[in-house]
Amino acid sequence: MTWQNSAITITTLLPIVGALGVLLVPRGDDRLVKGIGIAITGVCLALAIAIAATYDYSATCATPPCLQFVLNVQWIPVIGARYHVGIDGISMPLYVLTFLLGFLCAVYTGRYVPEPGRIKAFVALTLLLITGMAGTFVAFDLILFFVFWELVLVPMYFLIGVWGSANRQYASIKFFLYTLLGSVFMLLGFLALYFSGPVDALGKHTFDLTALTAFGAGGGYTHLFQLVVFGAIALGFAVKVPMWPFHTWLPDAHTEAPTIGSVLLAGVMLKMGTYGFVRIALPVLPQGAVAYAPWIGGLAAIAIVYAALACLAQKDLKRLIAFSSVGHMGFVMLGIATLTTIGIQAAIFGMVAHGVITGMLFFCVGSIYDRYHTRQIADIGGGMAEIMPKLSGIFAFVAIASLGLPGLAGFWGEVMALLGAFSPNTSTVAGLNVGLFRAFMIAGGIGTILTAGYFLWMLQRVNMGLAPERWRDHGLRDILTVEWVSWVPLLVLILVLGLIPSIVLNSTEQGVNLIVKIFGG
Amino acid sequence: MVGVLGAEGAPAAASSAGWFVEHAWLIGLLPFISAGLALFFGKRTPGGGPVYGIAAIGAGSVMALGVAWHFVQGGGPYEKYVEWFRIGSLHMQLGSYVDGLTAVMLIVVTFVSLMVQVYSLGYMHGDVRYTWYFVVLSLFTGAMLDVVLAGNLFQLLVGWEVMGICSYLLIGHWYEDPANSGAAIKAFLTTRIGDVPFMFGIFALIFATGMTTSNIQVIGQTVAGGHVSLLLVTTAALLLFGGTIGKSAQFPLYVWLPDAMAGPTPVSALIHAATMVAAGVYLVARMFQVFVSADPIALHVVAIIGAITLLLAAFLALVQDDIKKVLAYSTISQLAYMVAALGVGSDGYPAAMFHLFTHAFFKALLFLGAGSVIHAAHTNNMSEMGGLRKDMKVTFWTFAIGAAALAGVPPFSGFFSKDELILAAKDSHTYWLAVVLLVGAILTAFYTTRMILLTFFGDYRGHAHAHESPRVMTVPLILLAGATCVVGLLGFAPLGAPFLDWVYFGGEPIPAVFSPLVAILSIVAVTVGIWTGYIVYRRWRTPDPLTRLGPAYDLLEHKYYLDDLYWNGIVRPIRDPIAAGVYWTNQHVIDGVVNGAATLAYALSALVAWFDRNVIDGVVNGAGSAMELFGRGLRTIQTGKVQWYAVGLFAGVILLTVFIIRP
Amino acid sequence: MTIDYHAILPVLILSGTIVIVLVTDLFLSPRHRSASMWVAFAGVLATLVAVLSLIGKGDRPGSFGGSYQVDAFTIVFQTFFMSAAAVVLLISYRYFREGGFYQGEYYFLLLTSFLGCLLMPASRDLLMLFLSLELVSAPGFLMAAFRKSDVKGNEGGLKFFLIGVLSTAVMLYGMSLIYGLTGHLQLAAVSAGLQQLSGAKETLANAAILFVVVGFAFKISAVPFQFWAPDTYEGSPVPVAAFLGVASSAAGFAGLLQLMFVAFVHEYAFWVPMFVALSLVTMTLGNLVALQQRQVVRLLAYSGIAQTGYILLPFALVSADPSINHSAFQAAVTYILIYGIMNLGAFAVTTAISSRHPLLQIQDFAGLAKRAPLLAMAMTVFMVSLAGVPPTGGFWAKLLIFQAGIQRGGVGVLLAVAMVINSVISVGYYFLIPRAMIFEDAEDQTPFRSPILVTAVVAVAMVALLVIFIVPNAIYRLGEVTSLGSGG
Repeated sequence: MTWQNSAITITTLLPIVGALGVLLVPRGDDRLVKGIGIAITGVCLALAIAIAATYDYSATCATPPCLQFVLNVQWIPVIGARYHVGIDGISMPLYVLTFLLGFLCAVYTGRYVPEPGRIKAFVALTLLLITGMAGTFVAFDLILFFVFWELVLVPMYFLIGVWGSANRQYASIKFFLYTLLGSVFMLLGFLALYFSGPVDALGKHTFDLTALTAFGAGGGYTHLFQLVVFGAIALGFAVKVPMWPFHTWLPDAHTEAPTIGSVLLAGVMLKMGTYGFVRIALPVLPQGAVAYAPWIGGLAAIAIVYAALACLAQKDLKRLIAFSSVGHMGFVMLGIATLTTIGIQAAIFGMVAHGVITGMLFFCVGSIYDRYHTRQIADIGGGMAEIMPKLSGIFAFVAIASLGLPGLAGFWGEVMALLGAFSPNTSTVAGLNVGLFRAFMIAGGIGTILTAGYFLWMLQRVNMGLAPERWRDHGLRDILTVEWVSWVPLLVLILVLGLIPSIVLNSTEQGVNLIVKIFGG
Repeated sequence: MVGVLGAEGAPAAASSAGWFVEHAWLIGLLPFISAGLALFFGKRTPGGGPVYGIAAIGAGSVMALGVAWHFVQGGGPYEKYVEWFRIGSLHMQLGSYVDGLTAVMLIVVTFVSLMVQVYSLGYMHGDVRYTWYFVVLSLFTGAMLDVVLAGNLFQLLVGWEVMGICSYLLIGHWYEDPANSGAAIKAFLTTRIGDVPFMFGIFALIFATGMTTSNIQVIGQTVAGGHVSLLLVTTAALLLFGGTIGKSAQFPLYVWLPDAMAGPTPVSALIHAATMVAAGVYLVARMFQVFVSADPIALHVVAIIGAITLLLAAFLALVQDDIKKVLAYSTISQLAYMVAALGVGSDGYPAAMFHLFTHAFFKALLFLGAGSVIHAAHTNNMSEMGGLRKDMKVTFWTFAIGAAALAGVPPFSGFFSKDELILAAKDSHTYWLAVVLLVGAILTAFYTTRMILLTFFGDYRGHAHAHESPRVMTVPLILLAGATCVVGLLGFAPLGAPFLDWVYFGGEPIPAVFSPLVAILSIVAVTVGIWTGYIVYRRWRTPDPLTRLGPAYDLLEHKYYLDDLYWNGIVRPIRDPIAAGVYWTNQHVIDGVVNGAATLAYALSALVAWFDRNVIDGVVNGAGSAMELFGRGLRTIQTGKVQWYAVGLFAGVILLTVFIIRP
Repeated sequence: MTIDYHAILPVLILSGTIVIVLVTDLFLSPRHRSASMWVAFAGVLATLVAVLSLIGKGDRPGSFGGSYQVDAFTIVFQTFFMSAAAVVLLISYRYFREGGFYQGEYYFLLLTSFLGCLLMPASRDLLMLFLSLELVSAPGFLMAAFRKSDVKGNEGGLKFFLIGVLSTAVMLYGMSLIYGLTGHLQLAAVSAGLQQLSGAKETLANAAILFVVVGFAFKISAVPFQFWAPDTYEGSPVPVAAFLGVASSAAGFAGLLQLMFVAFVHEYAFWVPMFVALSLVTMTLGNLVALQQRQVVRLLAYSGIAQTGYILLPFALVSADPSINHSAFQAAVTYILIYGIMNLGAFAVTTAISSRHPLLQIQDFAGLAKRAPLLAMAMTVFMVSLAGVPPTGGFWAKLLIFQAGIQRGGVGVLLAVAMVINSVISVGYYFLIPRAMIFEDAEDQTPFRSPILVTAVVAVAMVALLVIFIVPNAIYRLGEVTSLGSGG
């Protein structure tokens, strides 16, 4: 085993080992449990960074995905599934982001353990969740991908159901059933890809994504087949993203989930859906993608405006942030739907930016709730800047980043997605309707205004004004050390990504070009 | 087309442009650094942090002079880029483009900002968020400088929006009062409404270059090259102008600017003189090639919008009691002068820029002077002022100079620049506009006179103990007043009007000509304005004499009901009923379907369970029970059931068989 | 007539054990009756060893003129049945010792049923199949009614008995018809014989097939012949319910697999539609009704019906293409094996709970996560696995059926879609139990100690499911070697 072929496996599966370790810790030794959590995620993050550092960005390929750190071994011959992991420039930022947020969440857990405690189970489930999410980004066998994909369901179900707030049971089962329903159809779609896919010399089918991509990109699947199967697969991804109108599980899940649950949910899990589109749905079923692109773009445009309007109506801070995610993912999907390099590049950048920003927003809301023990904007009653200047300052900074201020991370993903929509892929292969996508762009533009509107209004109602008497001598502490530690990296990233977007764009460039080439872009 | 132009933009000219020009980008960078320093170390720095900003911007203004010198010597434009990032075919560059216009703007921005910062030392003394104030102030200046220096539309957009958020922060500086935070939000959102079209305009221009670059010079060459469809260019021009309408507070988006007075007065000076609002006009100038290459309709729209705004704002300025509101509307109106002038084409270009140049100085002067007055009188309302000239000599004289310049009294700067504007309108044969400009001149002179009289003459009507402001505030006033006296001469034809050699559009500068006719006309206009103003306001009277105008006065009083229209017609409906409606739909329709599916499943399951219990099972049990009813024989229930089970079962099987074995 | 004694050794050992159990019980004082369990357990282990000793010897010449055949299929299922027997014995121990039942008789009957199970996969002619099936059922009737004092128990047992007898009659009638038509009992020969038939005879043959299927449908409780199951399960002792839910129905499937994939395989055009309907209706009705259940055993009973529907799905995929039949057969076998593990586990936990909460309502599980973490964790794994969600073995079981369905195409896809929807619905009731155990708190927080034997069984089952999830190959191989379906 060399670093090249073992790095991904070790990094991805290490959290499971940690989870088992946590379970073996004697009852009551909470500090050790937290320590293991932080240590494991920290090592994982270090490894992930090492992978990113030792990745050869100059390597080139003919067809996507352009993988490195590959380990491709026999796994389940009976069903033709292989253990095929690897990483390319598209997965890289998301993979690192997963472990970054995982680590920061572990740190945050060192201080904040949501009711009702049970720290062992909490940490173990979080670690399991991290493996599931990270694995999704490096699995290049459809069955393996699906296993990782589903692996996140059970831990998140319990994270919400046990450590969530008032309405947690409804939210958790809704999340579980809704995403499961989507993904089972996705699974059937994968099986269809398998049986209609390429056959090797021994007449064996394959779930290998590289092979399927080459086959599908080469027009291996019939048009009708692509329409049907793209629909099935897209359903699974769309629920996860979530695309309008499949989004209603999200506000409930987010609102009820514990802080780090929300952070990981918004920060990484939603990206699994959009990543799925970029990685699987588009390159393997190009004709299907072309046929569905206008509809995806349309739903995305609706999502942007719709979510912004819904946010204006929110009275619960956390729910507001949750709805804002729907809008931001709308921009991501719009970028993908353009089938252009600019659009898809913007989409991936948007995924990362949203992960960082919205993850940070949920951290803030979590800490605000920890201080006020309410998430109702009305109960907070404004004046937070007066009581906790630092916290409110950071909150404002992140909110402004989220409304897409140029120079901060949130901007490039959205503006470039709109730019992509201005000139969608009109090649003979894609032939998207320019007028239609410009209409989507205009909707998106209106969305940005509304987005600015609800965020600024939120800040006015939370940060500004005079603090109500009841909070004045309430001894609300401003930011704690643990919060600084777990937040500073994200705050720095928000600024750095905004100023130097090439950090992400350079990594993803080649992979995206290869995908868009399929569409004659 | 794309191939020819490439992505790297036009070749850098005049490599030996001198140190200052080559390092002009530093001017833009310094304020950001100082903002960072002030943010992290300000509180621990003696004096609370302003020192960083003042140092940075002071250095910047010195460098700006160095840059200007290059063009005084007749130097050519200079540009310098580094690759920023690539996305698809689009190569984004970070860099600076410096020409005469840039140089002039650099001087204006750095000088005015410096004055404002120094002035703020006194004005904001003891403020709750003293350090924070200077942080944002520096950021603001830096953003404006970025706009000025940017050689790339996206780079420009970054500065443009950062400036927007800074104005939001500064206008809402005293956010304890919801009115202020409301004004801040209004300013940001209103300008953003203009920014979205602006952004789309950028898209259109990038599209014109074949999605290769957003370099302003390359775009200019591309559209000038004539290979781009006229429709695209025209659309782009109009969309870009949307940004100007928002940022430079033109009709119909000027409503945010008067409210922006909620911020500290020095901020108003900065926003209204050198930054923010100037950026809008600067954008049109910077992208002028696009407007020129577009269908004439584009420039007509610019001119018409300018003319409308000019008059609307001037009228509103007549009826304001808040001294800052008077200045605010005068700003809108003066900006409209520039926009309108740009609308007449390349003739108006230098004139507009010259007015932007002069206006920056005297408007900053006026605001800071007003600030000094407010500082003394503890009120914004002129109705509670009067007679202040005795106690505040410096403030009075400097303010008077600024007012004279605003009104266009020779030999103060405003006179010359206004001349140029009218002349440009005349030379381009857009006489209707010349007339509008003259009418504007009359109105300007009138409300300026009114402001001076109500504030400094008559008897003091307030209750505060008025006093002159501290040195740190008066010195900037004096310096600005001095500038106001001299800068006008830079555009005075008999003196060669050097300004026109630095700032011009197209191949070579337009020769400066002095038109006695125009000069006389404008002097007449000014005189009429001042004289009528004096007649009406030489003595303090309540109610304001203009109330005699009746309905017209009410209309002005209510700002043409435009704000009400926006608030009740757009903002409120969207914020409350529409948003609520959407959310209701979300919860009850979309989510209703989801929950409905679950409910349906349960209902179905209840039904099937009943069916299972009472029909499938019942066929069997029920049969047994039926037997009991007959109660024949001595069979026990159970055995009775047996036979009926058998009957039911075999019957079923036979039925199936018959079904299978149909002849 | 050759007899391969090694091949029938397991049967001999188990038969011997049965006699011993019966006899020893007579000499044991009431206090030591429970010792019978250990005797039986030893016998079962011995049988298991004997079965395993047959591995790798290749397919052996059939005994009794080929009526008793030992091949991979036989070994896999016999191993499965003996393991199940061991588990049922272990979870019965405390339950019957403390429940005041006739223990000796119980173990005797149980082993007898398992003897039937043992014979079933090896039976290769109609008569043997019939005998094995009866051997499985007959003692079951008694065991189901073992809670003599309990009315429900009696009613359930009686119902089970009556239905069982009647269905047997129908099946026997069908078999006799087939014999009459083909003149053969051995499956292979029957298969060949049926191909000869035509016209009225063929129609009659079809009717006969229908009868046989109906008979089996009762054993495996497929809708609309499932109505006895819930009452019977609820009425009988929990370990017996476990036996019925796992071993008895698995035995039914073992027989049905041979009939459908060997004897009647060429008539698929006639009976496949029947199985399509059976599968659809069974899985759907089972799931929907299960949603309504709040009594755990009934819930498991209906879940069992739904699972029967899943297992019936591969039958509906049979076609002229041997490769598809092969996949379908594999899928069915694999599913039965994995389903056995998770269902036994669930019943084991239920048995443990029943000692404290005899009513076995779902809310009786409340707060178990605190009271008995291991049981709660295991039960969660079983439920997640029954729902077919990673990270558990149940996922692979379902995946294989989906795969077969998609491979079949056409109706297969429709069935697969129906099955995925059903799986999602099933989460609705499977998760009720983990929810109660983990999200809710019990009124009495006293820690809950479950019998050591049961705990051991539960732990093993849980680990097995998790291991299967990580390395499914082992279980898949078992499915693969049983290549009975590849063409017949």
